[in-house]
This record gives sequence, structure tokens and C-alpha cells, in this order.
Amino acid sequence: MAERAGTAEAVARPEAHRGWFDGFVRVLPYAVAFASILLGWQLAALLFPSYLIPPPRKVFLRVIEELGRRSFLVTVGRSFYRLAVGFTLASALGLAIGLFCGIWQFFRRTVRALVAILQSVPPIAWVPLFIVLLGFGDAPIILVIIIAAFFPMTVSVMNAVEQVEALHVDVARVLGADRAQLVAKVYAPAVIPAIVTGAQVGFGNAWRSLIAAEMVGGVNVGLGWFINFAGEIADMTAVLAGIFVIGVFSALLDGLVLERLKRRLLKWKYL
Amino acid sequence: MEVSLAAPAAEPRPKIAVEKLVQSFGALTVIDRMSLSVAEGEFLAIIGPSGCGKSTLLRVLAGLVSPTSGRVRIDGVDVDGPDPRRHLVFQEHALYPWRTVYKNVALGLEIERENAQKIKRKVTGLLALVGLEPFAQYYPHQLSGGMRQRAALARALAVEPDVLLLDEPFGALDAMTRLTLQDELLRIWLHSGKTVVLVTHDVEEALFLADRVLIMTTVPGRIREIIPVGEKRPRDRGSANLAALKRTVLGILGLEPVIGNVRVPDTNFSI
Repeated sequence: MAERAGTAEAVARPEAHRGWFDGFVRVLPYAVAFASILLGWQLAALLFPSYLIPPPRKVFLRVIEELGRRSFLVTVGRSFYRLAVGFTLASALGLAIGLFCGIWQFFRRTVRALVAILQSVPPIAWVPLFIVLLGFGDAPIILVIIIAAFFPMTVSVMNAVEQVEALHVDVARVLGADRAQLVAKVYAPAVIPAIVTGAQVGFGNAWRSLIAAEMVGGVNVGLGWFINFAGEIADMTAVLAGIFVIGVFSALLDGLVLERLKRRLLKWKYL
Repeated sequence: MEVSLAAPAAEPRPKIAVEKLVQSFGALTVIDRMSLSVAEGEFLAIIGPSGCGKSTLLRVLAGLVSPTSGRVRIDGVDVDGPDPRRHLVFQEHALYPWRTVYKNVALGLEIERENAQKIKRKVTGLLALVGLEPFAQYYPHQLSGGMRQRAALARALAVEPDVLLLDEPFGALDAMTRLTLQDELLRIWLHSGKTVVLVTHDVEEALFLADRVLIMTTVPGRIREIIPVGEKRPRDRGSANLAALKRTVLGILGLEPVIGNVRVPDTNFSI
């Protein structure tokens, strides 16, 4: 009689349960980081006169005051508008070119060479050229953001398409999948992690270039302009208030929106 | 497609007919003038040294590779491209990591654009058949190797292929799990009457399951010998007949059959 192995197989791992304690452990490092920044700032404020380095309390009050002012809200809103347009266009473009290059090898090589050359130029260096070409306004800034955010998405998607497992493609082919089904059922889900990574890296680049471009781009509205202008009139409280707003917003966007989106899309990786 | 007007042949036509198949990749000939026929409902096992073209033969039968020369016909029709009626189960576990077990099993039915209700009924039934019902919502990385291979088997059965091509399906499993899965495969096969071609490097597995065992030569792959196993299934893994056949097969493969001289379970000898 054949011997039956029965229960020899390992028992599958049960779903990890997440309680308040796990949440606490997850948040703690961020809290420590934030507290250490505040501490360093407070110490510096004690060493220097307050017109050079204003203490955190003063800056917080200024942030609250500015948030109640219409002109500041317009400035923040305008920065977000530029970011949204630039980042969306860059991501869409990067995704399209990345997919395209993943499929056609010739373009892949060309685009890799292009990326290697263009990526070594800091996006901000293009500002003078774009201002002359496009005039003052949102256009040169948005273009800088596109350049900054486009490369990470392109490269990441391109690599992912290249690395889709031949075995996974064969499985779908054996089951009779047509071209459209191969894309929908194999390529797309296999590439989603790369899209999320590309978006996350691209977003960081976009945000940094936005502020830099607003500082040197000859505009008179936007967070970068706000800091630059405050610096020119030696209003350090406003400079730090601007920096504070930038830091908090980008941390919130990255940590809450993008990270959650990632965990949601890639549920299968984090279980 | 050609429509055959001829009356059905008097003699039963082989399910799979391979004629003078040659398969080469560049200068390397992997399969050299192989002719073979497999009857409807037959269980054929193929063994041979690694790299002898066993897997390539299955890929040709599955329609993933087109032959360099020669003909491969299934049900009298030339194979050109994959077809869900012939399903290839791959060596490595080829489940999609982004799909749950349930969704993996449903893949072929989704590709065939079945309606959700039918998919649900069928997938639930198959998961019960392979004993994975409680794990329907698990992702592949949460399962053991044996469970993953059961899921792959269920995915294959979902599309109701009449030819099942198995490429070392249990090769990566531990010995105990392998025996269990062999029993299950046998049970499923006995009930379904499908034609099965199993590539394996496990001589005992081949002898336990197959009607005929085909032994291949090293590259370029040719048929070395075909050994019929004329014993009713389910077979006794320890029977003298299987032991003798194993000795023969190992001898043909050029391996010293140690087991025969040391301890054969059913031999009646007294000390």
C-alpha cells in the first residue's frame, strides 16, 4: 500500500494581526526624528539672536498666522497646482515611454543613453533657458518639474517590463491568452510595483525642483518665492515658517498618501 | 482551418502523434528525429538525463515552441500555438504572486471569459478537489511548496484540458509531499481519463504512475527505449515487479541498481 504523507506539508502562515501596539511601533521612529529636529532647532535658537534663528514657538505662531492670510493660501495653492500638473504629466509620460521601451529593445538602449546624459544635469539648471523660451510664469516651472520627475518613472517601468518573468508569460499563453489579456493579466500587475516606486521617487524629485524653480524662476507667487522673498527682507521667521510648511506637507503626502496607496496596490507583497 | 470530410478512421487515431521531430536552437540540436504516439487516455512518463530535451518536447507539445522540422499533431491536427485544451504545468511553481490562490485557479477561466458565477462554482469545486478550500484567499508566498503545486494543478484542471503536460511538477518538493501528490494526481487521472505526458527525473514516480515509461538519450534527445508497465493502478510502490522494472530502467540509464542486491521489500528470503 502506498504510504500517505498526509499532514507533512507545512501549515500556512496566518495573517499578521495589527493592533494599536504595532501602530505605535510604526509611528515611534517618526516621532523621535521630529523631536530631535525640534531639539536641535531650539538649541540653535538659544545660541543665536532671534532675528537670525527664531525659536520654534515663534515660527509656529507665524505659520498659524500665515495660514489665516489669503495671500499665503494663494501661494501654497499655486505651488500645489504646479506640482500637480508637472508631476501628473511627468508620471504619465514616464509610464508611456517606460512601457514602450520595455517592449522595443532599440528604444530601450536609446532612452537609457538619453537618461544617462540628461539625468546628470540638475533640473534647475534649465530654468534660465526655459524662461527665455517660455517667458515668466508657470510654464518654465512645470517643465522643470516634468524633467525632474520623468526619469525615475521611465527607468523604473522600463526595468520592470524587462524583468517580467518569461514563465508568467508562458502560463498565460498556455491558457490561451491573447495580446490584450497578456498585458492586462501579466504585464500590468507585474509592473505596478515599479510604477509605485517610480511615482514615489519622482514625487520627491518634483517637490524639490518645484521649490528650487520657484526661488530662481522669477515668479511672484509660490512657496519657493515666499521663502526667497522673506530672505531678501531678512524675515527669518517667515523663511523658517515656509520651510516648516514644506517639510510637513511633503512628509504628509509621502507618508500618508503615497505610502498608503502603495500598500493598498501591493497588498500581496505586504501580507 | 481545414475541415476534414473523411469518415472517422477505423483504427483509433493516436491522441498525440509526433513524427520525425527535430528541435534545434541555433547550432544545438536538442531533439533529433523523434517519433512517438500517445493513445487517448494514456499516461506516458518521460525520463532521461538532465538537459536531454524532455522539457523542450513538452514545450513543443504545448505549442510554445514551433518545431524546427517534423510534425506534431494532436487529434490529427497540427499544433500551431498554445491551446487551452493542452495544458502545461511548469517545473517551478508558476503561480502569480499578485493573485490569491482562488484568483490563480480562476486565471484560465477569466482568459476564456467565463461568467463570474461559473468561475466561482468551478474554482470552489477544484479547490475542494485538491484540498485547498481553506486557503482560497491566501497569496502563494504564504503557502508551502506542496500547496502551491496543488494550486497549479487545480489551475490546469480548471480549463478542462484533454491533454495534461506535466514538467517535473513535483521535482522541487520534499519526498513525503511528493508521494502524497503522486497519489492525488493518480486519483484525479483515474477519474478524468485525460491523456497525460509527465516529464520526471524520478524513476519510481514514473513507474508508479505511467502506462509506459519513455527513456531518452542525452543531447541530442532521442528515444532510447520505451518500457510498458503492465500493472493495474493504484500500484504497490514496493511490489517486486516495480522493483525489477526500476532495476531495468536504472540499468538503461547507466546507473548501478544498488537497491536490487541489498533489500527488495517483497523478496522472501530467510536468514
